[in-house]
Amino acid sequence: MSQVLIQAGTKLLNALGRHSELIMQAYVNGTVNERDHSPKVLEQLVQLGVLWRPDPQSELRLKGAVRTLLEGSLQDERNRTINANIGAALASLKTLAEHYKEALHYGRYSESAAHMSDLTEHVYQLAESLSNSVRVMFSRINNEFGYVSSVEAKIRENELAQGQVTELLYQLECFRFDELSEIAGSNRELRHLLVVSLQQSFSRAAQELSVAQARLLDLLGRFREFQGRTRLLKGYLLHMEQQPDFVPGNYPNLTNVPVLFNQAAGMLSPAAVDVNNVSQEAELQEIVASLTHVHRRKQQTEESSSSQDIDVSEQDTVSLESDPLQQAVDDYFCDVIDTGQPQSALTYYAARAMEFDPEVWIYQVIGNYQSLDDADKQFFALDPHGQEDAVFNGNFYINDITLGLR
Amino acid sequence: MMTEQGRVVSKLLQGDFICQVSDEDAWRFLKSRDNAQQLEPHLNLLNRTLATTADGDVFFAAYLTLGDSERKILMQQFQETASSLVPLVEWLLLVQQASESDLPVTMGNAIRLNELQSTIEDTPAYAEQLEKISRYRLFGSTSVNLDGQLKQVFKRLTDLGYLLKPNPEKQIYLATGKVEHLYEMIRFIDETESLSLSEQAEAAIQQGSLL
Repeated sequence: MSQVLIQAGTKLLNALGRHSELIMQAYVNGTVNERDHSPKVLEQLVQLGVLWRPDPQSELRLKGAVRTLLEGSLQDERNRTINANIGAALASLKTLAEHYKEALHYGRYSESAAHMSDLTEHVYQLAESLSNSVRVMFSRINNEFGYVSSVEAKIRENELAQGQVTELLYQLECFRFDELSEIAGSNRELRHLLVVSLQQSFSRAAQELSVAQARLLDLLGRFREFQGRTRLLKGYLLHMEQQPDFVPGNYPNLTNVPVLFNQAAGMLSPAAVDVNNVSQEAELQEIVASLTHVHRRKQQTEESSSSQDIDVSEQDTVSLESDPLQQAVDDYFCDVIDTGQPQSALTYYAARAMEFDPEVWIYQVIGNYQSLDDADKQFFALDPHGQEDAVFNGNFYINDITLGLR
Repeated sequence: MMTEQGRVVSKLLQGDFICQVSDEDAWRFLKSRDNAQQLEPHLNLLNRTLATTADGDVFFAAYLTLGDSERKILMQQFQETASSLVPLVEWLLLVQQASESDLPVTMGNAIRLNELQSTIEDTPAYAEQLEKISRYRLFGSTSVNLDGQLKQVFKRLTDLGYLLKPNPEKQIYLATGKVEHLYEMIRFIDETESLSLSEQAEAAIQQGSLL
């Protein structure tokens, strides 16, 4: 018997594995596209109870059990159903416990062991379904019903969830631990299952549900706030469309100005620099150094140039006395032009018995020649006399120069 | 170095709104009743007082007593506000509709300019709406392309203090407490003038007239 059961189960699981793609498609889309798969495969899956056809005309769909399995394992947020049938589960627990006690009483130990394992299964199932319901609830709360977009839909979802929480809490009231403890009596194993284990899951579920309820109310408040704001904005635009010349009353003119419209103007301006503050000297210097245009001049305004008396008397003449050396060099140049003969600078220097340093004199002559503009330079030829340095090439010592006309 | 108290006072005196988004430190400082009371004499000296909106989550400086000059400033301010309400409301609705979640813009909301732009580009109705909004005097855009219009609108809103750009490199904007102040003002106008705006909107939605 059990061998047959195991074989059938393996066959079912293998079929699930083999056709996983088809099943997942059916899970996501809701129905199976029959043209894409061979009729034989579909027939097999129908026989195994994976797919079913609700009406002869309708398409194949996943069976509820398979869907629940997938939703539970995938923690899919689309799972919105919550198993709230705790009363029935508790009734079956009580019945099983009675079976177990009777079998124990008459000494049918193998039977009692079977009842016990059944009972354990039921208790754990109940605990799991409780925690599962709470988890589903929280996953929906945590993403703030993100699977629907509009605020209105979120509010509806929230209301549904609140209804479910209320229902769950109502169902939790079915737990009567005094009854359960009476049934368990002095049997240690029964007591552990019915009282300790159930109580733990009960208190956990009750606690989490109350938190969930508070969060749901909180969320509902926020959604309503959003809704209110949207309506306010849309209403305002509508109103402005219907009455374009609408102007709100002049609230600042009221005796008691509402605080919303009493907003003081900004008054702080940047402080000015205190150049006499020695402690800031370093910073100020840095700032000045980093300025790029210190010398920007402000445009003179018209007002500053008021009419003034103009003094038209003759100005004192200013005589510019040129440097004697400069003058001597100029004379030298003129002399060369006058005579038309090339003349050595030092010879001229000796002839005039000048008092400058001869080196300065030669430098000044060269300088004067270089400072002539190109057109004037063409008339003169400057010929340096001297010798190369004995050791270093490229160095030329000038002893004298001869200035001539070209 | 200025103390935190000094910093907060100067922010208030500059006419800034202080909320959790714009300046969290100052906001925390003001949230403490003791600190707020210590500030009060400093503000009172300059005929200011600490005021809050949005359930005490946004702080700003209000006038303590209203003389003629203060009233003049407030009237001028109010005129500006009243004239900018329609552009601002239209912008808020545009952002709300173009965002995927369809949630109204509230304090702390992040608006990703790139996402918004691609949605608006893909929807001609939104693009038209944006063009209309950007032409208002409040935003003053003269740009013909959508990119320029959107940037100008966001830049103006940042200047006006409704938005904040936490990272200059990224085109992500945060809505500040000033947005809450805006909602409060509309709500106030609604109540004072008995406009019953919500009812009007609901009736319009039920009649199927989509804004």
